[in-house]
Amino acid sequence: MSELLDARGLSCPQPVLLTLEKLRSLSQGELVVLVDTDTSRENVIRAAASLGWQAKEVQAEGTDYRLTLKKA
Amino acid sequence: MSIFGFLKRKKTAPKTEDTALDQGLLVFSSTSEVIRAEVLLQKAGVSVKVMGPPPEIQSGCDLVIVFPINRQKEVLQILTRQQLRPLEVVPVSGPLMKPVDLFRVKDFGRYLMVRAANMKLTVDKETRVIVNISGGGCPDVPFLAAQLVGCSLDQAPRPRDLGHTLCGYALELALQEMERQCWRW
Repeated sequence: MSELLDARGLSCPQPVLLTLEKLRSLSQGELVVLVDTDTSRENVIRAAASLGWQAKEVQAEGTDYRLTLKKA
Repeated sequence: MSIFGFLKRKKTAPKTEDTALDQGLLVFSSTSEVIRAEVLLQKAGVSVKVMGPPPEIQSGCDLVIVFPINRQKEVLQILTRQQLRPLEVVPVSGPLMKPVDLFRVKDFGRYLMVRAANMKLTVDKETRVIVNISGGGCPDVPFLAAQLVGCSLDQAPRPRDLGHTLCGYALELALQEMERQCWRW
């Protein structure tokens, strides 16, 4: 079961920092992150990759994005 | 709006740094001239600092160079030899002539963010790893972020060597300020 992090409405770099904290606490598995800007989408994916997490799926939902991050 | 245009909206005197009255300001028409002048003067051994213009200065771009006023003649000779002519050379003569600090530092607990002009750089204080780069709007920002995010401060490539835009220049300033802040940890 995926964990969910809603980082919508937060200004940079807070979505990235919240995501990193969550990823560290999970170590592995799946995390869904909701963001609402292109910049946050790219920055979260990049930061997650630096910890070995991959963006398994990126879904546009209206003006928001649903990022599914995964680490085996 | 120019890339450093937000400085026009926030012209407040620096809170932490007093500007000595023995300093002068070089005002240029463009930020690219400021960058060239900074490099030239640093190479010549002149102690300079790039800052935002004070409220009293209405001409020029969104950056000024602060220099020791007692070296004005030498400074102008160095610049003139390279066909660089400032719009104005202004002595720092009072509070309203104090240049504006380009940097803002925000502590997020484990993380520290430095903003230099239009660029933000965030570092994990525990690992000294760069975790985020944002801001700008220049085409090379995604490339710069891809190169620096995940690198430790000690091993990160220099934005001045990678970037060719004002964002790259601002990011270099942010990295230098972050390195300076690191001495406190």
